[in-house]
Amino acid sequence: MFFMLGIPAFYLLVMGLMLQVIIPNFTYNGVSTSYITFLAPGIVGMQAFTAGSIGGSMLWADRRWGMFEQLLVGPFRRSDYLMGIMLVAVFFSLAGSAIMLVLAYFISPYFNITVFSSLFMVFSLIVGAILFTSMFLIISVLVRSMQAYNTITILLFFLIDFASTAFYPISSSTPIALRWISSVNPLTLIVNIVRDSMVYGVSGTTYISSLVVLLVTMVLFVVSLKLYRNVRTGI
Amino acid sequence: MSDPQDYAITVENLVKSYDGVKNAVDGLSFQVKSGEIYGLLGRNGAGKSTTIKVLTTLMHPSSGSASICGLDLRRKANHIRRMIGVVQQEESFDFTTVERNFSIYGMLWEVPRSIAEKRTEELMELFNLKELRKKRSFELSGGQKKRLQVAREFVHDMKVLFLDEPTSGMDPIMRREVLDFFREKAKEGLSILFTTQILEEADRLCDRIGIMDAGRLVAEGTASELKNRFGSMKKLVLTVSDEIADGAASNVREIVSRANGIEHLTIDGRNIIVLGNNVSRSLPSILSGLSSIQLEIDQINLESPSLDDVFYEVVAK
Repeated sequence: MFFMLGIPAFYLLVMGLMLQVIIPNFTYNGVSTSYITFLAPGIVGMQAFTAGSIGGSMLWADRRWGMFEQLLVGPFRRSDYLMGIMLVAVFFSLAGSAIMLVLAYFISPYFNITVFSSLFMVFSLIVGAILFTSMFLIISVLVRSMQAYNTITILLFFLIDFASTAFYPISSSTPIALRWISSVNPLTLIVNIVRDSMVYGVSGTTYISSLVVLLVTMVLFVVSLKLYRNVRTGI
Repeated sequence: MSDPQDYAITVENLVKSYDGVKNAVDGLSFQVKSGEIYGLLGRNGAGKSTTIKVLTTLMHPSSGSASICGLDLRRKANHIRRMIGVVQQEESFDFTTVERNFSIYGMLWEVPRSIAEKRTEELMELFNLKELRKKRSFELSGGQKKRLQVAREFVHDMKVLFLDEPTSGMDPIMRREVLDFFREKAKEGLSILFTTQILEEADRLCDRIGIMDAGRLVAEGTASELKNRFGSMKKLVLTVSDEIADGAASNVREIVSRANGIEHLTIDGRNIIVLGNNVSRSLPSILSGLSSIQLEIDQINLESPSLDDVFYEVVAK
């Protein structure tokens, strides 16, 4: 719960309010916004990533406590098990982002959300949760120990969260390596879609980002499904 | 010729290799009839658990074939999983209470709630879990966890039950009651594939026994058939008046090794246990040797081999 809600709430309240003191209003996508208005969609979008990492941890907990093998000999298919984890991740993503959205409204009510734009937000949070869950499930098949999984997860947590547009815009003054990582980081796309749907309005870029996120999700989902059909049990 | 449907389990030339080089299961064939309890025995690493993992659809076989209740393992895995129960060797728990474990099982197997609740009460009574019902599974002892693991499996109906060392960690009284419960279930038509390291259990419970070594079945039959087949050996138990010290033990080993036809020697407290084909003929020379090192014999027993001895004869040699 702390990981899911506590840390993002901390980012939003502490970082948002404190950094606003030193960051003046700035223009992004042609619109002048406060830092907290820029940050809030980033925190909402990050819920998809957090939910995905929780999905992977659920699988590792089942492996560690022996429930994974016990469930695999139960009256369902392996894909049912994966779908169960994905659904939980999607639920966490939507619930967590709704809470962050309410929190954001309390501290900065300058959002421009329409029924149409909210569809993009919901889409990106659902598809994003499936994307990151698939990614963590693939990692959990490929690594052989809980320690290795935790190390990779922590590394990815920093890399994906902080080398994205969740906390700051990427511009020509951003170091080129970080710019490159950010451009291939799926969280950048998800946060951009959420930000467009909350602040800057849906545009052609939002459509393209949504399509790319959907394609990446489909690829990762199919790979995770195939890997789990043949995963060797017992760790 | 028997219809494959008559058999709960049919395994033909099954091979399972983890690395493509060494076979954990190497050309295994056996059949288990409906309502039969079949015991798979073998040392650690003989391939028993791998066999169970393959037959319960956790792993794909490398080659060969197997069917459960006439359904092909490769093509009908989803159907098979609806017909089987599995108690794995490893612990498997969620952070829930004992009674929640039962209700989760009932839910997973779509057992109507009223039936699941009734069975839960019966099973908690039978497996002595009633007082533990509110305890979380991680608070239980090893034996209690095993009891829960076995008991919850009977919340749902099944045709074939796979038991991988189900009584490990249980006390002798509970173990006996659980074995009797399995026997009752088999009388009702449940087929059971059972692995254990406790040969006395297999002797007591199993209709037929298969002994595995290096992934292969090296002997098969009823317990009495196996004892008769390998019955040329006799077991000589010499009980001495005092505990045999380490120094004396090495002398005993030397004396016994000089005798003819001795296959195996165990020194256990005051007992010298000798297994072999001509132990009675070797008895005088062993007795005189023991006398020369001042070991006083209290009791001499010459016995037919137990399943334990058969296992040694088949596997350890």
